[in-house]
Amino acid sequence: MADWKTMINRGGPNTKLLEYVVMAVTVALVVVFSLTVDGFATLGNAGVILSNSASLVILSCGMAVVIISRGLDLSLIAVMVAGATTFSVFINADYPASMAFLVTLAAMALVGLANAWLIAYVEIPAMLATLASAMLVTGLFRFTILRGEFMLLLSKSSPAVVFLSGNIMPGLSTPVALMLVTLAATMLLLRAMSAGRTIYAMGDNFQAARLSGLPVRTTTIVVYVFAAFTALCAGLVSSAASGAVDFRTVTNGTLLFEVILVVVLGGIPLRGGRGSVRNIIVGVALIAVLRNGMTLMNFTSQMQDLLKGLVLIIAIVADNYLNPRDTETDTVGDL
Amino acid sequence: MSRQPIVSLETVTKSYGGINALESVSFELYPGEIHALVGENGAGKSTLCKLIAGVVAPSDGVLRINGEVVKFQAPKDASRHGISMVYQETSLVPQLSVAQNMMLGQERTFNSVRKVRNAARQVLQRLNFKVDPSQLAGSLSTAKRQMVEIARAVLNQARVIILDEPTAALTPEETEHLFDLMKSLQAKGVAMIFISHALEEALNHSDRITVLRNGRLMATGPATDFDRGGLIRHMIGEELNEQSMVPATGRAALSALPVLRVESIRMGSMVNNMSFSIFPGQITGIAGLIGSGRSEVAKVIMGHTKRNFGGGRIWLEGREVRYSLPAQAVADGIAYVSEDRKLDGFFESLSVSDNIGLGWLAKFGRRRWFAPLRKMRQLSREWEQRLSIRSIGADQSVLYLSGGNQQKVVIAKSLVQEPKLVIFDEPTRGVDVGAIAEIRQIVRKFAESGAGVILISSYLPEILDLSDRILVAKSGTIVAEFARGDATAEKILHAAIH
Repeated sequence: MADWKTMINRGGPNTKLLEYVVMAVTVALVVVFSLTVDGFATLGNAGVILSNSASLVILSCGMAVVIISRGLDLSLIAVMVAGATTFSVFINADYPASMAFLVTLAAMALVGLANAWLIAYVEIPAMLATLASAMLVTGLFRFTILRGEFMLLLSKSSPAVVFLSGNIMPGLSTPVALMLVTLAATMLLLRAMSAGRTIYAMGDNFQAARLSGLPVRTTTIVVYVFAAFTALCAGLVSSAASGAVDFRTVTNGTLLFEVILVVVLGGIPLRGGRGSVRNIIVGVALIAVLRNGMTLMNFTSQMQDLLKGLVLIIAIVADNYLNPRDTETDTVGDL
Repeated sequence: MSRQPIVSLETVTKSYGGINALESVSFELYPGEIHALVGENGAGKSTLCKLIAGVVAPSDGVLRINGEVVKFQAPKDASRHGISMVYQETSLVPQLSVAQNMMLGQERTFNSVRKVRNAARQVLQRLNFKVDPSQLAGSLSTAKRQMVEIARAVLNQARVIILDEPTAALTPEETEHLFDLMKSLQAKGVAMIFISHALEEALNHSDRITVLRNGRLMATGPATDFDRGGLIRHMIGEELNEQSMVPATGRAALSALPVLRVESIRMGSMVNNMSFSIFPGQITGIAGLIGSGRSEVAKVIMGHTKRNFGGGRIWLEGREVRYSLPAQAVADGIAYVSEDRKLDGFFESLSVSDNIGLGWLAKFGRRRWFAPLRKMRQLSREWEQRLSIRSIGADQSVLYLSGGNQQKVVIAKSLVQEPKLVIFDEPTRGVDVGAIAEIRQIVRKFAESGAGVILISSYLPEILDLSDRILVAKSGTIVAEFARGDATAEKILHAAIH
């Protein structure tokens, strides 16, 4: 029993196994869908899968960075929608897109900063701090800007919306381009930047990171501001694509869980310290293929939720089995 | 003695990862006997008790209860044989009442509050305890909590009660009461083992005494056969007479200006008015028992834990400092090598080069945006050579290194910061014999390079081998200071215990 596990995990403790299981399942799904579902195995559908998963990948990058640092950002979707709302209000009022973007960027950075301040300085658990800020942001925006409504429509003719939902060059849509940029930025942060190395250190052993003199507070700020930026980016892409900002994305909660699902399925343990961009891609690949295949088979959204829920449970059970509880998790908790 | 022992260990060995915590120790406990277990920290007393209580299983050897060979899988197997252990950190559930705590683990599906309370009250009265059974355990003092644990053992009809340092947190009157209670249980035929650092307690209150050192049995016999000096000699052994590496008078300080001075540091209940100075170019050893507040004061100096409000002052090279985060202390050139490397020493899933590189990176704080990976790798290779860290490759995760190599990585992670002052907290704990000598050599060399070194160790031979100046801590205060030439194991131990 132990042998095949140690064989695969020579590099580190049980990090790669879940990743390989998920990859194998994805490949199997692709084969099954190709054989049974009409129109799955076409170049056009591959493009659809790619552009449909752009905002999920962007969000997952933010969440992955947070989780690697042994945090959790439950305000990710609230920030995404709030960012899109702020941007839309300025665009609909005919302000220049660059100014709208800068103002929104600053506002969302502030939310990320507030999260980080609560977590690093006030020392509130990340789960509670971000849950509270998610509710606060959602409430504030619905109250002040939407006046209790759920939807905010974007003018389809605005050049910013046209740009965000169009192509940056033939064959490369803006969402996919932004996705690639975010992936590259995440890789840069995690691999080359001092903050990235500190993120791994904090996730692996927070007390050791603190005692070694690493700037844990500053790094927490970097982490949550980065997450807020990815949320904003995803918000712009998805609202431009659908022509509206919809607060029900926050209130029904499924998107948030889908993002966590991607991260966990990709093989990034919730206790942090491990994971890379590759894990995000592995996780998204499974969810995107599953989602696309189920849509092509005309599954209802309820049925899709049910199946995704099942996948999440299996993934978490597998994660627990492959990364068993130890004294470390007992002292710091699971999240 | 022709009586049959209730508990007997026959040449029992217990090893943790290749290190023997106990080495072929034989031990006998007779019914109605109070047996004292003495020895330095790490001598194997707790391991011996845990073996009997079924918390750990022996690697080798036989455990007999009433002559029968038993193999305990878990503490509940031991309690089925009437063996109860009362831990130093009491194991009561603070939110439950005294009575509920006493019944813990043997409740029926439905419990009558009144019946449970009456059963508890009966036992408490029989033992002459003035504790209200309906009171919450969390609201009791340490002494009363310990008594409740003993009452629980009595309620469970324990025939063997093991007490792990029962008097450590008690006042003299409470201690007297505890020993009275033990005597009355003894009269009922209960056998008791107690661990104690106060040698007088062992001499005055036990029937027999067993002395352990380095996991080996040093002496065992009736308490009347021992005296204080004899016990201490058995505890510290002869190997101390070996030539120490330190010159007879100790290395002189490079400067009369202390690199660090702390004055009346107070922190919670652990550190109580601690004051000392550390000079450059020499090793200042701080001896003492576990729990004497040494690691705690180190963490206060680092800014890792907060001292009490107005709880003392700290000067670094004559400048008063007050850190709220270790990052500030590290930037000022203070480094701390943790006593528990797994808990807060290294990053287990990261590579050797990442661990050492992160230590170096920490020195720059927020000033470096990008991590120069090539430079970090090169530094790591350099330090791997300097400390002869043996790893399969720089990319190997630290988790798979031996204890000694892990410890060297933790040390390298601090020394790469080129600190002015390093606090080594139990630098050779859980380290293989070969690496111990190497690590001591590293500490020595570092002090000779002109930096200040604080060595916290509960192991006297280590203190004596390395230190140029020795401070002794007890209950959160420095109680004695010895120059290198004056220090002997007897004097240090005497100061640490009294």
